[in-house]
Amino acid sequence: MTTPSSLLQQMVDIAESRNQDNRERTRIVVQVGHCSESVGAIQISKIIHAVEKSEIQVVTAGCDGACHEGPKVTITLPSGNHKIIPRTDEDTAYQIAGLIKTGVNTESPTDFFSSQSRIAMEGIGSIDPVSIDEYLLQGGYSGLAQALMATPDEVIATVKESGLRGRGGAYFPAAIKWDSARKSQGSQTYLIVNCEEGEPGIFKDRHLMEGIPHRILEGMIIAAYASGSSEAYIYVNAEADLSSKRLQGAVDQAYKSGFLGEKILGSSFSLQVEIRRGAGGYVCGEETTLLNTIEGYRREPRIKPPLPIESGLRANPTVINNAETLASVPFIMTQGPETFAKIGTDDSAGTKIISLSGAVERPGVVEVPMGTTLRQIIYDIGGGPIEGHEITTIAIGGPSSGVFPATMLDTKIAPGQLHESGVMLGAGGVIALDERTDVMGIVRHLANYNSNESCGKCTPCREGTPRIVEALDRMRYGNGSTADIEELRDLADIVELASLCGLGQAAGGPIKSALHFFGDEFNKLVNN
Amino acid sequence: MEISPKNRNEFRKLLRQNFARERDQLLPVLHFIHHEFGYLPDWAMEVTGWHLGIPASEVFGAATSYTELRVEPPGKHILRICTGLSCQSNGSKELLTEMEKKLGIQVGMTTPNADITLEETACGYLCGVAPAVQVDGVWDGHANLSKILGSLEKDNDDDS
Repeated sequence: MTTPSSLLQQMVDIAESRNQDNRERTRIVVQVGHCSESVGAIQISKIIHAVEKSEIQVVTAGCDGACHEGPKVTITLPSGNHKIIPRTDEDTAYQIAGLIKTGVNTESPTDFFSSQSRIAMEGIGSIDPVSIDEYLLQGGYSGLAQALMATPDEVIATVKESGLRGRGGAYFPAAIKWDSARKSQGSQTYLIVNCEEGEPGIFKDRHLMEGIPHRILEGMIIAAYASGSSEAYIYVNAEADLSSKRLQGAVDQAYKSGFLGEKILGSSFSLQVEIRRGAGGYVCGEETTLLNTIEGYRREPRIKPPLPIESGLRANPTVINNAETLASVPFIMTQGPETFAKIGTDDSAGTKIISLSGAVERPGVVEVPMGTTLRQIIYDIGGGPIEGHEITTIAIGGPSSGVFPATMLDTKIAPGQLHESGVMLGAGGVIALDERTDVMGIVRHLANYNSNESCGKCTPCREGTPRIVEALDRMRYGNGSTADIEELRDLADIVELASLCGLGQAAGGPIKSALHFFGDEFNKLVNN
Repeated sequence: MEISPKNRNEFRKLLRQNFARERDQLLPVLHFIHHEFGYLPDWAMEVTGWHLGIPASEVFGAATSYTELRVEPPGKHILRICTGLSCQSNGSKELLTEMEKKLGIQVGMTTPNADITLEETACGYLCGVAPAVQVDGVWDGHANLSKILGSLEKDNDDDS
């Protein structure tokens, strides 16, 4: 009898035989991603692809997250010995064939990688993102095959047991969304993959889309199966052309191989998928705004309730999952929910991808277990401050979360709030700043961003966020008084309590956390 | 396609060939126009409204709510400097000030000869290679003043 598993095995066997010769070849991987493109990776890739011949295979991969090492090239000999060439310049690229001849000894991973635990990002930087064969040979789509052999309710139970929560910032349990969609009475249920990564300082979904798009698709198909969705949209940020291109390539292959379309892997489940592009704006990532933009309306949120899960796209039940959430699902299916639940802490399972940047030695994209401290992320993985400087402020989560002083470095990352003053993990941005950046400047910057991005639909956010900026400016330019500090406190509370969507509700975060941790800086401004 | 309201009919045909007459095609159509013309001309938005059966005012309303869509023609070259926190901490504000001085315009403006539009962006999602600067759609990481001037010059050479 053919089952999804046996069909998959046949495909793996075919991929195996197609790639048999490659085992005898030296493999050169050039990492090309959004980041490394900007530091010359395209040119390096062209030069190195020219040396491809019978005994040398050249592959373009996504970036492995070590942004400080781009453009990066890895040489792997058939013996397994490998060499990593960080920050490859054109001269080195031209000499690559010579490097192979002189011999390659196995290098151990740098500190940047050794303290990470990669689940969603596993394989990024070493496999060809637009080769379904390479994904299959890494065990790809076996999570899907297992899911299809279980009932949707069993899949939901498995993911529920794993404790997986949404990775977009709200940390809502993923399986509960699927379950509600499954139980809804609507004629049609939609699934939307939220890849509208439009928060300043956050660039992790791009690495997934560029590096391992098939894993997002696999998670998406499992989610669609569990929630009973027959149509899916992948909504990609406007400024993520390479992500969109590679995802489209992966979607085309998945259709061709029978992972998308009618009767997936011989089962009775069918799924159609379409990629849509955003057109800019922080609020686009907000679930109901995303629905409006797909339907052709203004970029503004809708009033909740009803939640998208009750009445979403075209008034049908709609599940919206973040790319990172879905990329964790294949692991849960293949390794078992208990394995996933063991990673992280008791009340927050799994890993989180952190976008680490600012004034650190090794910025990049980092996947660590929940419960890891900021100090481990910034110092052990990120290499600490740039020589001669010290970390003084850490902006967490994104533009609407909050700021920590260096004394909070031992805070553990966790879903939702990290501190009662309003600092949240959000989508996982960590921007470490040193003494050269003035904290009041950071607060002004974040407040101004929130004010600019306010869509204008609801009054508290539209009117409140600019008044926060005005009060800060009065203080910064010497016209402030203690009354301004009180006004800031009030405004931050009002926008948090009364705004319509998550953007407004979180816009007070930077102000409240700055008042809590850097109150002296505010007082200095009004007393001088 | 040439930017001209004279092309209305030709443009209608193009929309009919490529896009279903459903409201949910609005954003894909706007992307198409933006790609074709570099901005959204009024007449093209009117034709869009006609094609999708929605008032031109609503097309305009939706279009202007997005930060990545222009409704006015930009200069021949577009220079965007990222001023996100990571880029700021790596000197992007100084780069912006320098470019304002060099071009004699303020951010958000186009030089009087319509050559260069100077913009700032809240994030180019290149925080790991900050500061980041974009010239005519191509991003440059670890940017500095001489690299920016080099790219602008190179683009001018390509034009001639």
